[in-house]
Amino acid sequence: MGIVKLAFIFLRIGLIFFGGGYVLIPLLHRIMVDRLHWLTLSEFLDGVALSQLTPGPLAMLATFTGFKAGGVIGALVSTVFIFLPCTTLMLFLSSRYERLRNMELVRGTLDGILPAVVGLVAAAAYALGKTSLLSLRDFLLLGVGFVILQFTRISPMFVILGAGAIGYLFHFA
Amino acid sequence: MEAKRQVPLREIFKVFLIIGATGFGGGMAVVSLVERTCVHEKKWVTLDEFMHGIAFGQILGPFSLNSCTFVGYYLRGVMGGIAAAVGFIAPSFCLISFLSWLYFKFHELPELQSALKGTNPVVIGLILVAAVGMGKAKIKSRTAWLMAPLAFAASAFFNVSALLILVVAALWALARAWYKRENA
Repeated sequence: MGIVKLAFIFLRIGLIFFGGGYVLIPLLHRIMVDRLHWLTLSEFLDGVALSQLTPGPLAMLATFTGFKAGGVIGALVSTVFIFLPCTTLMLFLSSRYERLRNMELVRGTLDGILPAVVGLVAAAAYALGKTSLLSLRDFLLLGVGFVILQFTRISPMFVILGAGAIGYLFHFA
Repeated sequence: MEAKRQVPLREIFKVFLIIGATGFGGGMAVVSLVERTCVHEKKWVTLDEFMHGIAFGQILGPFSLNSCTFVGYYLRGVMGGIAAAVGFIAPSFCLISFLSWLYFKFHELPELQSALKGTNPVVIGLILVAAVGMGKAKIKSRTAWLMAPLAFAASAFFNVSALLILVVAALWALARAWYKRENA
């Protein structure tokens, strides 16, 4: 498998996945499983599960696919190229931001959408809660986590890693 | 305006490396971590600016990565943005490479799902703390009290995409800003 081809394919995928991670699953499935036969269906599904284990976005699936196709180098190239378009665009947008926000209308618009952003953040908590708050134990962890994070200065890193250790050691099912 | 303090690239890289190594849950969990670290602890960006960054990030795909890039760029331009993006992705990259190697060699995935079952509820707590903080600061007017629950309901109950919600909110806000200017 040519590294150049790998780079080109993931660059193209990176260019079309604006709008959110979840369009990525059907798209990658079509390309990797149906068209190129780089992954079997069960490998693909395991790859999705694997990429959701990490803090990185779902597009980390590119790392998994690249690893199968070309080892560590393949993984590196795939990862760099799938994130290249969105990162470039984000850098460009950020560079316009400081100039644009000094315009009165832009500023009014940007500040006007902030309540919607709050709504979206809260909706993310709701979506995650719907799939992962299944027992009293989960709600207990949520309550303890919320209280620690809201009222103490303990770093969230410790809280998250600590909760992960608890889940691992007690074999949360 | 006070001159921006030069934050060393190394510092930017380090902070986002730590976020990338601990933000299990992805997406909004990472955004909440960035908010806590960069807005409240380090005071690198203001809450308003960061929330603008989240909005932009939602438009351009993987918003956890995008909000890191945004903060990095804000601090140190293109190099800062790249330092933040690479720092954030690096831990996930290493983890996936290692797990992929295990997987393709031994056809087994380690039992990490149970660890995630432990982190998920806490991560929801983290996101809630961020939402409460943002809400306290930004939901003050009557319009805001209308817009925030509407955006929440549209996303949570009706699966409307974040992009569409933000575009509608932006059109509304633009119309208001225009009206205010014309009638000032």
